[in-house]
Amino acid sequence: MAVAAVSAGGIADHIHPEPQGFVRRYVFSLDHKIIGIQYLITAFVFFMLAGLLAEAIRTQLLNPNGGFVAADTYNEIYSIHGSTMVWLVIIPMLTGGFGNLVFPLQIGARDVAFPWLNMLSFWIFPVSGLMLFSSFLMGAPTAGWMEYPPVSLQGAAGTSMWAAAIFLVGVSSTMTGLNFLVTILKMRAPGMTFTRMPLFVWGQFATAPLLMIATTALAAALAALFINRVFGVPFFDPTKGGSPVMWQHMFWFYSHPAVYIMILPAFGIISEVLPTFARKPIFGYKLIAFSSMAIALTGFMVWAHHMFTSGLAPFLQLPFMIITFVIGVPTGIKIFSWTATLWGGKIHYNTAMLFAIGFVGLFTIGGITGIFLAAIPYDLHVHGTYFIVAHLHYVLVGGSLMGVFAGMYYWFPKMSGRVLNETLGKLHFWLFFIGFNLTFLPMHWLGIEGMPREVATYDPQFAFLNQFASYASYLMTFAILIFFVNVIWSIRNGKRSGPNPWGARTLEWQIPSPPNYYNFKHVPTVYGLPYDFSQPLPYKGLDEELTDAPPVAAGAH
Amino acid sequence: MTAASLPLDSHGNVDQLYIETRELRLQGFLLFLVSDCVLFASFIFAYLYLRNSGQGWPPPGIQRLDVAFAAWNSVVLFGSGATMHYALENFKHGNFMRYMWFLLATIVLGAGFLGGQAYEYTHLIYGEHVTWWGSGIFGASFFTLTGMHGMHVFIGVCYLTVLVLQSAAGVYTRGKFFGITAGTLYWHFVDVIWVVLFSIFYLL
Amino acid sequence: MNAALIERLGAVIAGIVVGVVAFYALYKDWHATGVENQVFKLMLLLLGIGAILALLAGLNVVGFAPKG
Repeated sequence: MAVAAVSAGGIADHIHPEPQGFVRRYVFSLDHKIIGIQYLITAFVFFMLAGLLAEAIRTQLLNPNGGFVAADTYNEIYSIHGSTMVWLVIIPMLTGGFGNLVFPLQIGARDVAFPWLNMLSFWIFPVSGLMLFSSFLMGAPTAGWMEYPPVSLQGAAGTSMWAAAIFLVGVSSTMTGLNFLVTILKMRAPGMTFTRMPLFVWGQFATAPLLMIATTALAAALAALFINRVFGVPFFDPTKGGSPVMWQHMFWFYSHPAVYIMILPAFGIISEVLPTFARKPIFGYKLIAFSSMAIALTGFMVWAHHMFTSGLAPFLQLPFMIITFVIGVPTGIKIFSWTATLWGGKIHYNTAMLFAIGFVGLFTIGGITGIFLAAIPYDLHVHGTYFIVAHLHYVLVGGSLMGVFAGMYYWFPKMSGRVLNETLGKLHFWLFFIGFNLTFLPMHWLGIEGMPREVATYDPQFAFLNQFASYASYLMTFAILIFFVNVIWSIRNGKRSGPNPWGARTLEWQIPSPPNYYNFKHVPTVYGLPYDFSQPLPYKGLDEELTDAPPVAAGAH
Repeated sequence: MTAASLPLDSHGNVDQLYIETRELRLQGFLLFLVSDCVLFASFIFAYLYLRNSGQGWPPPGIQRLDVAFAAWNSVVLFGSGATMHYALENFKHGNFMRYMWFLLATIVLGAGFLGGQAYEYTHLIYGEHVTWWGSGIFGASFFTLTGMHGMHVFIGVCYLTVLVLQSAAGVYTRGKFFGITAGTLYWHFVDVIWVVLFSIFYLL
Repeated sequence: MNAALIERLGAVIAGIVVGVVAFYALYKDWHATGVENQVFKLMLLLLGIGAILALLAGLNVVGFAPKG
């Protein structure tokens, strides 16, 4: 029997009709670009709220005796600050936000694999954020973002709410990871082999399995905490044989990979911005790509380095220390590759580039203090002090958040069709960079001298550096206000960007800004790496993108 | 593959869009099972951690679980895995009625397993040695893990019931039956999780 | 003949049946290709192992049974 003829084309040729009406287009949208922007807006709202909490913390610490808020309230404030920044700001911005917005365009897809699932994972996110903040109404968690038992078992009902909220946002991340992984595996444009993918896609590709696997482990830990609190199931309750240390294992088995969830996409952003503004092919493409995978893999094997003071057996401590040192190798490879990319390049100091270079510098500091902390003797000394606070803020603010800002300045034209104002942008960068360093650099000294973190009052000998850090943090907040002003102003008044304001070479810049609903009129064919600035573009089939030609209908070739 | 088993659109042509989206859904579903696996693995880790946390197992005052009934109940569930496998095989080969009977048998065996679980739970809760999930780490790990698994079986039974209704309404054709494949994958997954849970709770 | 003995007998007999069916299905599917079939093969293998374990438990080789 003869095989029947192939009729309608595949996914690449299938164009859904664009939905009409405000709700279908902008609220419950299935379009990955709209969902990405929704993620970014929501995450920036939470970023403002958590930033206010951060300023409340710094204001409290202006005075050794505190006095701005009560000690219990202070505990609630830093717990919610940490939880919000990790789960509602950095992770959603880098994965749901920039991931959704950019990587389907970069691989030449019309959308992600499961648009409906994508919409669902977005809408879970603001709901869980509201749940998290509503925990203030019933007594917010007081044990920091790690919520170690037994403190987290004793707190008011808000801790249960916290667990439920983080569980939900975890479900959302899991679905995003699943969606992205399938999209990258199955929906790349013809010719786009794995070693021709842009590095931002590699960043997402390394992050997606972490989102999928590690976040599920967190869901288990949170579910156990929740049923322990609500139904008295004694997983972590030592009076009934449970183990508080087990929470630390379950939590860090997620939360160490989560660190890489928060940094690998930022690595990807930096790897896009640096070659574009240095006008030079990225140095060591494959090394950067594969080191992301190496970091993602080894990230699962180091969680107990957060627990050197928790009574871990010495024969277990040693391998965790060594593997943690080993993670420094792929990370170092990236730093060297970026530096080598800049070397001899024709560098354009745009705001995005400034943030990218700032990222490389600050992340290196954060990474090196990380290596300090991996060493058991040193960790025993500074565990639970402000040294940790300094380290994690250098990685998450100096690293991830600088990456987010670089991405915002870089891809804002693709979102809106307008460029962010450069003058305000440079002001934003310099004030932020200086304010950030003045805030967090002194904390290294505070930590080494022994100031414990997460306390509402402190010894008067630490007063000067704390006041210094607090005043500097206001500068940082001011810089971020400039950024918001810049965004709001530039949406209406920014310079029109055209399709490709930066002369970048990845696929998303070869189509109009903002892109059409269907992304590509005709799915292009890819012939090489996107970073070779001396060569013609390695794409075919993009000739009609910037014309008025209609998209290629389903089935036609 | 014969033409009859290819996915066809309403004009009788090969439906390329279906082939490609099926691929995506299959991959997505497998990844969902992987992450579900991690959920179980985390709780299994918790169980093994608590089990080895010092006071011996089972904890003082608790009797070891009796394997006899559990062995029988496990075989009921494993048997449902075998019938599900043949349900899918028969559907692929076009034996629709046999597919329906195997599917119904799977549902009956799955529901039977749930009944057996309920019976075992009542024995533990109201038996000589009272154990409930709040009473100690034994109950906590046992009831959480088996309860989670029971929930998965229950969802599976509901899913398979929907499959029966859909199949009776003619939703699945010889070329397009991803719903049945996904159901089979899910059901096998639930079975295999039970192999692990049975081993670590009753045999270890 | 008490309840436990009936349960054991059931586990042994059904264990043999399910084990044979699982391994036979695995044998028949051995050359099947495609992602889902690879997964099915793995699952059938584990299913067969599970049936053997249940069978051994029924024979009192592994697991715990109270005296009496």
